[in-house]
Amino acid sequence: MKNLVQNIMEKVVNSRPWKAIFRHGWPDNPLDRSLIMTSNLFLHLHPVRVNRKSIKASYSMGLGIITTVMFTILSITGIFLMFFYVPSTELAYFDIIKLQTKVPFGQLLRNMHRWGAHMMVLTSILHMVRVFYTGAYKPPREFNWNIGVLLFITTLGGSFTGYLLPWDQLAFWAITVGTSVAAYEPLMGKTIKKILLGGPEVGQAALTRFYALHIMVIPAILFILIGVHIWRVRKDGGLAATDIKDDDMEAENGE
Amino acid sequence: MANKDKGTGYRFSKKSSGKTYSLVEIVKSDTTMANKGPDNTVLAFPIVAILELIIALGSTLFLVLFSLLKNAPLEEHANAIITTDPAKAPWYLMGLQEMLEHMHPTLAGIALPTLAVLFLMVIPYIDHSKEGSGVWFTSERGKKITKWTAIYTVIVMIAFVVLDNAFPPRELLRDVLPNLITQSLIPLTVMTFLVLLPVFILMKTTKERKPTAREVMLVLFTVLFFTGIVLTLTGFLFRGPGFHLYWPWDMPNGYNPFDGL
Repeated sequence: MKNLVQNIMEKVVNSRPWKAIFRHGWPDNPLDRSLIMTSNLFLHLHPVRVNRKSIKASYSMGLGIITTVMFTILSITGIFLMFFYVPSTELAYFDIIKLQTKVPFGQLLRNMHRWGAHMMVLTSILHMVRVFYTGAYKPPREFNWNIGVLLFITTLGGSFTGYLLPWDQLAFWAITVGTSVAAYEPLMGKTIKKILLGGPEVGQAALTRFYALHIMVIPAILFILIGVHIWRVRKDGGLAATDIKDDDMEAENGE
Repeated sequence: MANKDKGTGYRFSKKSSGKTYSLVEIVKSDTTMANKGPDNTVLAFPIVAILELIIALGSTLFLVLFSLLKNAPLEEHANAIITTDPAKAPWYLMGLQEMLEHMHPTLAGIALPTLAVLFLMVIPYIDHSKEGSGVWFTSERGKKITKWTAIYTVIVMIAFVVLDNAFPPRELLRDVLPNLITQSLIPLTVMTFLVLLPVFILMKTTKERKPTAREVMLVLFTVLFFTGIVLTLTGFLFRGPGFHLYWPWDMPNGYNPFDGL
C-alpha cells in the first residue's frame, strides 16, 4: 500500500503538468524547499530561510497576518454581499432584511462581514502597538511604519464607509455624527463634508459615494498598500526580531 | 632591472614588495552578515507556511463561530427626522466623540487627531537609533517607563473625564470668559500639561544622562495609546442617553452600548 502511494506520488511529481505548474519536485529536501519559495507567486513573499526568532509566537503574535486574513475574508464576503445589495435609500435596508431572512446563509454572511471588519480594525491597532513596543519601526523600517500608519487610516475609512450601507438608524446617525466633525476643519471643513456626502446631509448622494468608496476605492488602496507593506518587510530584512544579537538572546534565555 | 616572482611569473620593479593586492579603503557599513551571530535560521518551508495556515484557519474559525453566536445589529429604517439617543459614531471613533464633549470641535475633532497622526508618522525619524530594534520595550528600564506611564495615563485621563464632566469650564465660565478661552485654550493647556508631565518626570528621573529618544517615544506613545483606550471606552461603554455618563450595566431606557456595534 505504502509502495503504491509512493509510486503514484512519484509519477505525479515527475509528470509534465506537475513540472509545468510547479517547476520543482516534491518539497521534502532543501533544494525543492528553496525552489518552492522562489518560484511560487504566493510563497515568494517569504524568504527561503527564516530566523528562528522571527517565528516565535511571543514576538509578533501573528497580528499582521490576522489583519491580512481579515482583509481577505472581508473581500470575499463583501463580493457575496454585493450580489444581494443595491445602494439606494429606497432598497438598501430591505435588501439587508431580505439577505438575513431569505438568502441561505445570508445572515451568517453579513455577520462575518460585520464582525470581521471590527476585528480588522482591532488587530491593525494591536499590530501597530506591537510594532511600536518592539521598536520594529527603527531603521531601515521607518518608511514601512509610515505605510502602516496609512494602512491603519485607510482601514478606518473602509470600516466607516461600510457603516452607512445598511441604511438603518444606527448607520444614518453614526455617519451624521462622524461627518459633522469634518465640518469643523477651519479652512476646508465644509467643502470636505460636502464632497464626502455629496450634499448638505446624509442622503442618496452620500450612500452612492460611500458605496463606491467602500467597494472600489478603499479596497484598491488597501490591496496596493498591503502589497507594498509586506514587500517592504522582506526588503528591510524580515521581522525586526532578526536584529537581536544572538548573545543578547542567550543572556535572555540564561544559556 | 625587474625582479621576477617565482610563483606567478609577474615582473616587479626592484623597489616593489611584490604584493599583488592592496588595502584601498575601509568602509564602515552593514553587509548582510555584519554584526550577525552564528546562523540561527531554518528553511521557511514548510514551517512558515504551516504557521500561517494555522493562524488563518484559527482566526477564520473564530470569526465563523462568533458570527453564528451573535447577529450583526440592524435597527429601524434610517430616518432623518427621528434622532436616536444617544447618537454614536462607530466604536473606533468614540474616543474622538468623547473628546468633543470636553473641548471645541476643531480642537477635538481636527487639531488633536491630526497631531496624533503626525506624531505617529515622525516617530521613526526622531528615534532613529537602531538600539533595541526587535526587543519588547527595548530594556528593563523601557518596561518600567511603559508600565508607569500606562498607570499614570489611565488615572489622569479618567480623572480628566470625570472632573471635566462634573465641572465643565465652558459651562461654568461661559459668561466670564470668551469661548475661545473656555472651549479651546483651557482644555488645550490641560491636555498639553497632562501629556508633557510624564516626559518631564522622565527627564528628572534619568540620572547622569539625557533620556534617549526611544524613552521619550515610549512615554508619548503610551500616553497616546492609553488615552485612546480610556476615551474610547468612556464614549462607547459609559455614555448613555443624552450622552450623559452612566454605569454600563445601569443604562436608562434599556439602552445597551453593545447593540450599536
